[in-house]
Amino acid sequence: MKTLLGLTVANIKSLTRDRAALFWTIFFPIMFVFLFGWIFGGSGGDTRISVGFVDQDASGASAGMRQAFSSVQILTLQYGTLEQEQAAMQHGDVSAIIVIPKDFGAGLTSKQAHAAVIQYYIDPSKTQVDQIVVGAVTQVQNGANLTIAGGSEVVSISPQTLTSNNIGAVAYLVPSILAMALMQLGVFAAIPLVQQREKGILKRIGATPLSRWKLVGSNVLLRLLVAIVDAVLIIGIGMVFFGVQVVGNVLAAGAFVLLGAGAFLAIGFMLASFLKTEEQATGVVQVVQMPMMFLSGIFFQFDFLPGFLQTVGRAMPLTYLADALRQTMVNGTQIVPLTTDFAILAVWLVVCLGISTRFFRWE
Amino acid sequence: MTQSGEAVIRVADLKKYYGDVKAVDGVSFEVGRGEVFGMLGPNGAGKTTTIEVLEGLRPPDSGTVEVLGLDVCKHPQPIKERIGVQLQSVSLYPRLTVTELLDLFGSFFKHRVPTKQLIDAVDLGERAKARSMNLSGGQQQRLSIALALVNDPELVFLDEPTTGLDPQARRSLWDLIKGLQAKGKTVMLTTHYMEEAAELCDRVAIMDHGHILEMGAVPDLIGRRFKERAVFFDSNPKLPADGLAKLGGVTRAAVEDGQTVLYSKDIPDTIGALLSMADGLSVEPHNLGIRQATLEDVFLDLTGRALRD
Repeated sequence: MKTLLGLTVANIKSLTRDRAALFWTIFFPIMFVFLFGWIFGGSGGDTRISVGFVDQDASGASAGMRQAFSSVQILTLQYGTLEQEQAAMQHGDVSAIIVIPKDFGAGLTSKQAHAAVIQYYIDPSKTQVDQIVVGAVTQVQNGANLTIAGGSEVVSISPQTLTSNNIGAVAYLVPSILAMALMQLGVFAAIPLVQQREKGILKRIGATPLSRWKLVGSNVLLRLLVAIVDAVLIIGIGMVFFGVQVVGNVLAAGAFVLLGAGAFLAIGFMLASFLKTEEQATGVVQVVQMPMMFLSGIFFQFDFLPGFLQTVGRAMPLTYLADALRQTMVNGTQIVPLTTDFAILAVWLVVCLGISTRFFRWE
Repeated sequence: MTQSGEAVIRVADLKKYYGDVKAVDGVSFEVGRGEVFGMLGPNGAGKTTTIEVLEGLRPPDSGTVEVLGLDVCKHPQPIKERIGVQLQSVSLYPRLTVTELLDLFGSFFKHRVPTKQLIDAVDLGERAKARSMNLSGGQQQRLSIALALVNDPELVFLDEPTTGLDPQARRSLWDLIKGLQAKGKTVMLTTHYMEEAAELCDRVAIMDHGHILEMGAVPDLIGRRFKERAVFFDSNPKLPADGLAKLGGVTRAAVEDGQTVLYSKDIPDTIGALLSMADGLSVEPHNLGIRQATLEDVFLDLTGRALRD
């Protein structure tokens, strides 16, 4: 036990004295939080999205729509023809365009299904902006429908909902980035292991009374510690700088942080079992982590992926860790129930650990 | 065979094959307490495999291997407490300091030497707070030897301790290894440097292709094969070999590393005859010199090729 602690302390010293390693394990994910936090969040209400508004109908109904959209606090409307606004959008002056086509008013009075259409143009590359615009359009549409169908009061548009949607963008990202950091922490563990085996260090340690499992154990301990540090820092920054509210179950979240780190460490060990040289390890680790980073709904909502990529994403363990962390930390919408997340991560942990113990070579 | 009669290492008919490769093919030897024993041979001779079996890192295919009176297969753990193994690379924790590394390695053993004492023993006092990655090659080797001594071992294994060092660093490491012997430790080392084996080892085993070809004290090994000394020189063109072999005192003529070498029982006679023969052919021998036969000659004689090939 004392040697295990001694080795862990040695590991901690090695990490804190290694600027490159510190950068990748701790500052890189933090950088992501700040970066995405600034892009999508800021301080909530300040962020307004410029939207082009094109009224081709010029009727009383379209004026109502104009009124409705301009009352959405987060949107700043800019008026013009479709051509003007399309040019503006291509220049990036507006982020989306809402079009009230000709005959909108006539369609509205006909009260036939789908007779009155609101068109909108969004840029699929700007997912967070799109979410907000689509949300606004949907609400205006719902409000109008209710008014017409029920004849009751106009349902007002609630800017609060939109604001919280906006915080939701950062709230979505913070646990997702934590999941990404844990994934990298684990998968990258393959590299030093392969390196130490290649240099004969793992073998040589076998000539001392130290059990080699203590060497591995101290590595696991170090990485679990870093996982906790990452979690505290990432969540802390989200809370302090971007107003993310942790509303979920802290204990469950902590358990998922450790389970996730463990599962990805097991994947790292499994990779180290089959890789022979450091060059191989660096390459393969990238091949493993890159697709996970982009197909597991870290930077944008999982639902936004096209169907076949969703299928690929569903095969990746990071999808479930990110899902579990979002559910337990910010009450995120689930992809699968928490118990399923838990089961999938646990299976990855056990299976990869089993494969590692069977195939890992010390030399 | 051994100095004090007590064998610290006892190996009988050790075999270790990797598929068709007979890495070690029936090796037997003993090392006595307090001896410096060297295994000399080219890369791939089976030196490292042998030493790794002794350290308990590889199980032998057959044969008996006893270290400190214990069977390495049955009692690896108590043996590991009492031997010192030099790590070829200290880069396990390149960012730890000399002191931190010695403290850490000491914690692996039940019995340990105070770190300060170890640092003094390998003369690293001024670099005690330096990170191991910042040490020079020679200093890293000193550290790796200090790491092998943390448990005050009775038996120290050094696998090519001076490979890659400059001559000065090598000399200072040799002094360190001689110091170990003075402290009564048994040392087993491998090397492919002839001078190193000749300088340090009480006895040497010459290994090639998994076999021990010859074993004994260095002067004995040389004396057993070479009663004569050698005259060496360069010439262009080469003098005819059959003519050289017939010169006065010459027992054998050979070309080694491009140099002509004449093994001779009567050096003045040989040199006189050589000069008049060269003069007759209008060839001028240069870089002419005389030397004792060396381990290199022994190796060449045993295997038909130079050790550095």
